[in-house]
Amino acid sequence: MTLFKRLYDWIDLRIGASEIVKKELTGYLLPRNINEWYSLGSVLLVIFALQVATGMLLMIYYIPDADKAFKSVTFIMNEVPFGWLIRLCHAVGSNLMIAVLLLHMLSTLIMNSYKSPRELNWVTGFILLTLAQGISLTGYLAPWSQLSFWATTVATNSASAIPVVGPYLVEFLRGGKLVGPATLGRFFAVHVAVLPVVIAAFIGFHLFLLKRTGVSTPPFGSIETDKRWKPESYSYQHHPGGIPFFPNYALQDATSITIYFAIFFAVVYFAPNLIFTPDAFVPANAFKTPPHIKPEWYFLANYQTLKIFPNELIGLTIQAVAMTLLALLPFLDRSPERHPLKRPLFLAGTIAGILVWLGLTIWGHYS
Amino acid sequence: MTMTTVRVTTLANLSLVAACALLIAALTPQAVLAAAAEQPETVCIQCHSTLPDQLGAPVNLWRKSIHAENGISCNSCHGGDPRIADQAMSPAHGFLGAPKDPDVPAFCGRCHPGVLKDYLASKHGKALGKGGPTCFTCHSNHLVLKASLDLINEKTCTQCHDFERARTIKAAMMQTEGYVLSIDRRITDYQNRGIDVERLAKSLFSVRNRFHTLFHDVDVTRVKSESAQINADLGKIDQELKGIESVMHQRKLAGGIVVAFLLGLAGLLHLLKKTFD
Repeated sequence: MTLFKRLYDWIDLRIGASEIVKKELTGYLLPRNINEWYSLGSVLLVIFALQVATGMLLMIYYIPDADKAFKSVTFIMNEVPFGWLIRLCHAVGSNLMIAVLLLHMLSTLIMNSYKSPRELNWVTGFILLTLAQGISLTGYLAPWSQLSFWATTVATNSASAIPVVGPYLVEFLRGGKLVGPATLGRFFAVHVAVLPVVIAAFIGFHLFLLKRTGVSTPPFGSIETDKRWKPESYSYQHHPGGIPFFPNYALQDATSITIYFAIFFAVVYFAPNLIFTPDAFVPANAFKTPPHIKPEWYFLANYQTLKIFPNELIGLTIQAVAMTLLALLPFLDRSPERHPLKRPLFLAGTIAGILVWLGLTIWGHYS
Repeated sequence: MTMTTVRVTTLANLSLVAACALLIAALTPQAVLAAAAEQPETVCIQCHSTLPDQLGAPVNLWRKSIHAENGISCNSCHGGDPRIADQAMSPAHGFLGAPKDPDVPAFCGRCHPGVLKDYLASKHGKALGKGGPTCFTCHSNHLVLKASLDLINEKTCTQCHDFERARTIKAAMMQTEGYVLSIDRRITDYQNRGIDVERLAKSLFSVRNRFHTLFHDVDVTRVKSESAQINADLGKIDQELKGIESVMHQRKLAGGIVVAFLLGLAGLLHLLKKTFD
């Protein structure tokens, strides 16, 4: 008997580990036609864990003080052993987290997996995307560079378009009339102490919902396990005859995570300047406005939308309405059909929407 | 389900999804404002840009100048209050107007005292007020040109004398200029990648300043010997940059190995998964 087996038996005797393994791993059956897109959730869990880990390491040397923040980041990048790697992993990770979140949402949208009984899964996922963007925004100010200072100035200023409360909201966000040391303090606190906890809680709730509803069946391929949900009583969606999570789908998760890491490290080592402009390495200067301030790539469509409309309030309102409609999509779209090819209008609308978003993003980049 | 219900559902879907562009993007209050905060134009520019001929021309010339590039505006040289139209040209607010020819070096020298000293010590400076060149002769006014060897050219120099001596000086400085520019590009590249090269940038700044003092010198022997010393100092900076380049190369090599390993591992995991299908 190997040492490992003896250790396993010792633990099993005390906590019934084999029962958990059977229920949650080998006996946890998934649809036979499950595809690779379902593994993006696991990829996101790994990304979030890596962001937390690299963030904790950065906090050892980072100083959230307007006079010292930029120098501390420079110190991390140049003096701390592997500090450059940790910082680049954190910065690149935040961008890729948004990209993978968008892909995860898009696959859910295309496969119509947001439909009953998974409305709450969609809503919590949507909230998680918003929170991820919030944590990226608050972290953006931390290096106290020209880029972070002016991007935050422009971003917080957008709230001033809200009637009546706008100016007060801007002052509340900034901790003063202008972006300054107080802004850095509150953004840092939100970035490291509030949002990670809220995001972790929502991830927990998202996973809880997944456990209670069961994994949805993809609308493609053989759909022998598909059963229409009836709003009469609670029922978990089982997949009799499906594939076990372990080892089958765990290997798919591992493959997807490894591919993600290959892309992630390719950016970290070979193209970190994809996410950094030269202004990211110049200390913040409130008296010198850089000529071209652009938001992060995932806000470029918003940026361009606001430029299209002559009035900021109209631009903001349109975005708020669109955001609300997207969040409430499962409650508005009640059609039971889930195959996108059997819903040509839906598919055409989705593709058109993606193209418009991409167009606005590219336009925003070059404008 | 009735046809009406189907139609309403479909329309709802369509309108929802068609909003997709504004939707995924419109996720947080960070909906960033379009107009990036830009520096407001001074009243000098607002007014003069609408004026014809010689009153308006300086604005367009200035926009292409090294001064505009570095945020040096009209009031930086001419004084006055650039925020209030009726005070912009008030002597009480420090308005100086345009200097007369002999006053030009002192006018520019308020911000460039080192260059003023070099100029006054040179044959050019000693000919000030006697038909010799001023700063504007070579650097132009309003369209102020950055100090570079391009300013030593036949067209400019032959305004006052033949080009032979200037050609010899320019040739002696050419290699050093190229070296300075090459090191400057590499330092800027590293700065743009977050690598701390501040000390090297300061060293280059100091060496470049020494080099620039030669720009106003017309003593060929001194230019040649100083250029040799400057080249030696540039060589030291070059060596340090090569050290950084070596580290960067090692990092890329490590990155290549990591990425290749991960892609190989992904392939193996995929094959392993296939065995269970």
